[in-house]
Amino acid sequence: MTVKALKALSTGRNGLGAFILQCKKMDFHFCDWAGSSRGMNGFIKSQLAKFAAAHPQIEVTVSPRPSRHPIIVGHYVNGQSRSLCVKNMQPLEILKMAESLRDTNGEKLKRINKPVSSINPSVRGVWSPYHGNGMAV
Amino acid sequence: MSRALLRSALELRTPAARLPPSFLLPIRARSFNSTAPIIEPTSSASASSHDAASSTIQPPSAETQRANSTLSSRSSTSPQTLYPPSPPPATPPVLSDSVRQLLPLLASQPSHYITVHIHGRPYLVTPGDAIRLPFHMPGVVPGDVLRLDRASVIGSRDFTLKGSPYIDDRVFECRAVVTGSELEPVRITVKKKQRTRRARRVRSQHRFTTLTISELKIKGVEEIAGEGSSA
Repeated sequence: MTVKALKALSTGRNGLGAFILQCKKMDFHFCDWAGSSRGMNGFIKSQLAKFAAAHPQIEVTVSPRPSRHPIIVGHYVNGQSRSLCVKNMQPLEILKMAESLRDTNGEKLKRINKPVSSINPSVRGVWSPYHGNGMAV
Repeated sequence: MSRALLRSALELRTPAARLPPSFLLPIRARSFNSTAPIIEPTSSASASSHDAASSTIQPPSAETQRANSTLSSRSSTSPQTLYPPSPPPATPPVLSDSVRQLLPLLASQPSHYITVHIHGRPYLVTPGDAIRLPFHMPGVVPGDVLRLDRASVIGSRDFTLKGSPYIDDRVFECRAVVTGSELEPVRITVKKKQRTRRARRVRSQHRFTTLTISELKIKGVEEIAGEGSSA
C-alpha cells in the first residue's frame, strides 16, 4: 500500500457560508494636464471619497500617470487584475466603470452555456437496472 | 478662468440630480434588497390563477399515497417586498395528508435539490451551486441575499415534492447570494450582403448576474402550521 498525498484540501465556494468581495484593490490613475483626464480628475474630487467609504473591503490608491490616458485597475483575490481605460468620460460614467470592476471576479472571460455549475455529488445517485422494482416490459 | 470655474462646478455638482433615487443607491440597496423576493412578483391575477394549485409528495413506490389536495394561493409575502403584496387569502391554506406525512421524511434525508424558478426559468440547484443568470439583474450589488420563493420541485434521494405548478412557499426557505456580475467574451457577428465586398462587424458583449445558493431549508409541519395560524 502506497502513501497517497491529499488530493485537495478544500475548494473555495464564495457565498456558501460567507461572502467575500473578489475585488481587493483598485488603482485610479490620472493626468493633471491632459484633457482626456478631465472627467477622472472630477471623479477623484467629487466621487472617489464616497466610493471608497462605501467599500471598506477594497484598498483604493490614486496615483498620477502623466501624459497618458486615465485608467482604473482592479486587483482580484485570485491574483488577476483587470484595467479599464476611462478617457474622456464624465465622473458618473467613471463611477459606473468602477462599479463594474468591483462586481467582476477577475477570472478570464469565458462563454458559459449551462447556467448552473455544481461540484456537489448527485443527490439521486446513478441509476441502476439491478435495484428498485424493475420495469415491466 | 470662467470655463475652469464652470468645469469645477460641473465636477463638484452633487450626483443626486442625476443618480437614481436614494433607495436604489448601492448602500441603501443592500439593506433594502436583503430579503425581498426579486423574482416573480405576485399580482392578483397570477394569485387567482394559482388558486387551484396542488402539491404532491411521491414516495418511491407508493402510488396509492399520491393524493392531490388543494393548496390555496401563495401565502402573504414578507413585509419587505419590492412589489405590492397580493391580498392575503381568506382561509389559511392547508397541507394535504400526504404532504403532512411525508414532508418530515423528505426533510430527514441527507441532501436535497430544488428547482427554483427565476423569471420563469427553472434552475435545478443544491446548496453551494453557482448560477450564472442569463440576464443582468438591476438594483442588486454583490453580497445581497435573495429569497427564492418560487420552486416547482424539491427532492431528496427517495422523495420528491412536486408542485403544480409551484410549491407552497411556506414549505421551504431558499436563499441565494449575489456574487457579482460577469462579462462574456465579445461576440463579433459579420454582416455581409451578397455581391458586395463590404462586410460589417457587429460587436456585442453582455453582462450577467451570478448567484450562489447559500441556504436550502425544508420546514417542519408544525412550523408551517404555526405560521398559518399567526398570519
